[in-house]
Amino acid sequence: MSMNRWISAGLAVLTVLALTACGGQEDLKNLIPQDKEEERVVNLFSPMEKTDPNAENVARTASDLTVSIAEEALGVTMVYRTYTAENYQDKTYDEVCLDRARNNMDDLYLLNPDTVLALGAEGELMDLSGLDSAKNLREIVRTANTVDGKLVAIPQEVVAYGLFVNVDLFKQYGLDLPETPEDFLACCQVFQDNGIETPIGANRWWLETFVFAQAYADLYNGGNTQAEIDALNRGEARYSDYMRSGFEFLQTLIDRGYIDAERAAVSEAIEAEGPDFLAGKTPIVMAYWGAANTETAYGRTDFEMQVIGFPSSRGQMPVVPITGLAVGAKAEHREDAAKVLDIMVSDKALQIYSETNRVISPSKNVKVDCVPALRPLNNRIEEGIYVLGSNAGMNVEQWGNTCLIVRELLNGATVDQCMAAFDKLQDDALNQS
Amino acid sequence: MKEMPKKMKRSGLFLLASILLIFGIFGTIVFSVSQKISKEMSNSAIQNLSESLDLLESTIEAILRSEGEFQRLIAQEMAQAEDPEAYIRVYESNKTVAKLSLILSGETEGLSNTGERFTEDSLDFSAGGTVIGMQVSQSYLNYMGTWSYTIKCPIKRDGQEIGSLYAEYVYDAIDQSLPAGFYNKQATLYIMDAHSRRFVLKPKGMGQRNAGHLNLADFYRANNIQDPEIQAEVERCLSTGENVLFYHDIRAVRALNYMWSVNGGTIYLVGYVPVEAIQQEGRTVNQNIMVVVVSMLVAFFLCIALYYLNWWQQDKVRREREEERKLHSQQLAQALQAAQIASESKTTFLSNMSHDIRTPMNAVLGFTTLLDRDAENPVKVREYTKKITASGQHLLSLINDILDVSKIESGKVVLNLEEFALSDVISSVDAIIQPMAKAKHQQFYLEVTGIRHEYLVGDETRINQILINLLSNAVKYTPEGGQIWLRFIGLKQRSSQYEHIRIEVEDNGYGMTPEYLEIIFDAFTRAENSTTNKVQGTGLGMAITKSIVELMGGTIEVSSQVDQGTLFQVDLELRVLEQAPGRAPEPEPEETNILQGMRFLAAEDNEINAEILSELLSLEGASCEVVANGQLAVERFQEAAPGEFDAILMDVQMPVMNGHEASRAIRAMGREDAGRIPIIAMTANAFAEDEKAALDAGMDAHVAKPLNMELLKKVIRQHTGQK
Repeated sequence: MSMNRWISAGLAVLTVLALTACGGQEDLKNLIPQDKEEERVVNLFSPMEKTDPNAENVARTASDLTVSIAEEALGVTMVYRTYTAENYQDKTYDEVCLDRARNNMDDLYLLNPDTVLALGAEGELMDLSGLDSAKNLREIVRTANTVDGKLVAIPQEVVAYGLFVNVDLFKQYGLDLPETPEDFLACCQVFQDNGIETPIGANRWWLETFVFAQAYADLYNGGNTQAEIDALNRGEARYSDYMRSGFEFLQTLIDRGYIDAERAAVSEAIEAEGPDFLAGKTPIVMAYWGAANTETAYGRTDFEMQVIGFPSSRGQMPVVPITGLAVGAKAEHREDAAKVLDIMVSDKALQIYSETNRVISPSKNVKVDCVPALRPLNNRIEEGIYVLGSNAGMNVEQWGNTCLIVRELLNGATVDQCMAAFDKLQDDALNQS
Repeated sequence: MKEMPKKMKRSGLFLLASILLIFGIFGTIVFSVSQKISKEMSNSAIQNLSESLDLLESTIEAILRSEGEFQRLIAQEMAQAEDPEAYIRVYESNKTVAKLSLILSGETEGLSNTGERFTEDSLDFSAGGTVIGMQVSQSYLNYMGTWSYTIKCPIKRDGQEIGSLYAEYVYDAIDQSLPAGFYNKQATLYIMDAHSRRFVLKPKGMGQRNAGHLNLADFYRANNIQDPEIQAEVERCLSTGENVLFYHDIRAVRALNYMWSVNGGTIYLVGYVPVEAIQQEGRTVNQNIMVVVVSMLVAFFLCIALYYLNWWQQDKVRREREEERKLHSQQLAQALQAAQIASESKTTFLSNMSHDIRTPMNAVLGFTTLLDRDAENPVKVREYTKKITASGQHLLSLINDILDVSKIESGKVVLNLEEFALSDVISSVDAIIQPMAKAKHQQFYLEVTGIRHEYLVGDETRINQILINLLSNAVKYTPEGGQIWLRFIGLKQRSSQYEHIRIEVEDNGYGMTPEYLEIIFDAFTRAENSTTNKVQGTGLGMAITKSIVELMGGTIEVSSQVDQGTLFQVDLELRVLEQAPGRAPEPEPEETNILQGMRFLAAEDNEINAEILSELLSLEGASCEVVANGQLAVERFQEAAPGEFDAILMDVQMPVMNGHEASRAIRAMGREDAGRIPIIAMTANAFAEDEKAALDAGMDAHVAKPLNMELLKKVIRQHTGQK
């Protein structure tokens, strides 16, 4: 009896459900949503690394996280526009950046140090000193990005360049990690003697870091920085005098075959030298801080890797070129772009960025631990020992020009010819002023 | 019966196979329907995407056409102008036309609206692309840092070509005319220059942020499209300007990848759409189909469960009934068997009885014949009468046993509980058995140990009966010179009110087989058939003994071995009498002829019995008036003068009025002596309950037939005051 009651109840419920399922009625209103809002857009122009479906790009992820925060806070949509040179014959990212910024193609730009200074000097970039987040910046960052009294770019990380070394190979040949140029040459000799024909993996972009380390080790760490820069800006000191030792050092590396100059001259960063370094065939490459965190670069190695400073008379020397995000002064959505940037470089966003990417934050309020491989480099920076790869306070742009002159060296120019090029740049600058 | 499970098993298998078959068919139908739906959905997705891409293609081609037409118009205007170069100089660049240049016929260098000198060297028209018949260059990065292309339009005046107009268009302009998103912004779309394979535009809202694609090779690498066949097919289509559409998973999501030709293959739309984005409604349909299928399955299983439940309940009832029927028929069979055994036993018993009764009867009749012949010889007469008496006694004991059994079996036995002394029991048993044992030259030992109380309450007669039965058997079944033990052992008391006694009767006689031990206590059995054994007996003794023991709440056990002997153990609990009875032993009256001169009224319907009674009483010097029934006795007593009769001897079973009624009638008379005249029951109804019934009817005593004159004299003496 009880069973029959249960069955009846079950059937009744099923019937009700079935009848309910048959219900519902058509909405007779206009089916197109009427409350469509005007979409606010900010265009961001940035380089795009070639992607690998199996690797995670934490730098990109970190940046995207801060973009999301800004989008959510402001209700804007960030549109990504990118350019990457296919090969050395193509226009460089920096060239395209200059073209686009000069023609107001985008709102926000991720700029390398040389383009920051060039565009800043041309008045193409908005003054960001009024942003709330600008107050949190470390002094070194503010100095490096201030052109004609205007803060023209704010970075999300302090990019430091260093030597990425295969510690296993150094140990294998009983070598200490090099401190000075002499140490470095001795190590390369040992590697070469042991069958590693080209101990340094190089590309056409980053060999200038060797030059900066030797050229400005004393200028930035000698306690007389501003006076020396002033002397340079007045023409009382010559950039070529600072640069010569670094170029001669590079020439030695080329002459002894520690660097394959021909190959380097046509090689893109990481793409060319990366595979041999990861395979343990090349003991030394140079790269930026973030490469140690990114699987698309050197974030995962089979050997013990350490990142150290470049050899200099003052020991291992990190090279810090300050990059940054800038807003086009005449950009279509400049107001929104400035607001977006303010949020992207806020302490909250930079905390997330730095934790995700494990980098040195430009904000003095944000500190995170770095990966073990980066500790030697990090320790030097924390001690205040480094050289700047770019300085808006110098009247000759450093990062881009030095890169181009190093390429000339790679292509066969002599050290004297290279120094002459610096002298010309300095003279032009002096004449301009 | 054995066929059933096999049959059931076979039908179960058949049912299982049927269900499996139904499921198989159902599954196949569902599978084929879902396959069909899936195929149709796939076709629909391909068609849907193709239509969308056709739309985009048409849009871009329309833009290119309008650009071309616009350029042709300008060219026509310039052809009309006196100084075409002046037209160029005043033209202002805009978001669509980034640069306008002119090279006059016969010259290699011309002028741009930006003021620069212009040559064709930086442009590559080698791919052969055209827009409405005008040459279109390969894509390149222009001075604004954005991807662009240039259309070359001849300027004709009066049918003569006077120069070429070059208009540089930026791809960003196309982006303005494209929808803000593609498949709810889930689709990725690039515009690719077909010749260089460079991606020249990623329209807004149409691409993954973390997958910026440089060119076709980068697209392949980023999306893991490494199948050489696909790459070869794409190459072939790119070279012929055909469209390509193929399935390939992008980051584990099933997607439709496409390379869609625009403007005759000069540029391509490249990208992918997750299939789910196209088939959103398809997924809903699939989910609903699943819901329907699952509901049907649930309903199906519910029906099966209900059917099974019903079947199970019916089967349970059927099984219970079957069990019941089985039990019932088993009980019937057992009852039948028991009845058959009982019948057989009774037949055997009757046959035995017939033999056992005929034997003494033969003696009685034989000796009466001899008595008749030798009536003159007093020695022989005495010898014969002695033997007749013995045979009669044997017959009597046979009849008593039979009656006992029948009474016990019908549950009519009632214990007559009285105070008694255990020593009396022991001495009376000893008095009976000792002579029997002596006669067979057997040793009879009597042992009493651990008995705490002598005076007890119980049915002394029945206890005697138990002991006599066991001991007489022991004597009977122990050869001459054997030994017999009777032991009374006091066991641990379970209550202070009761004496716990074990009675052991042991002999070293013939013993019994284990088979016989199993049936020794059954009625109508005997170790040997009486017709073949010299030992006489009813075969009822042990059954009676066991019944009496159990009636007293006791137990009886037996152990025996053939030629070794037998041991019976009887455990009884008898209530303790705290104080010894104060009765003095009755002095045995002197044997005198107490009936001398007494006068009795006897009610007896049997003439022979009446005659025997009269004769026996007259032998004792008493007189007796016999009436034929109770009625006559009552009437006679009424007529009699007071003191005419000393006592009334009353048979019980009589015609007209039985003894009990007659006694009540006499006691009810108004006569002065009606209440005190002794009425003694003399009846063949010889049991204790008969005695009780007689006393209840107002009689004074009870004497069983056959008549024992000594006993009668004793009773008469007790009740007539002749002491």
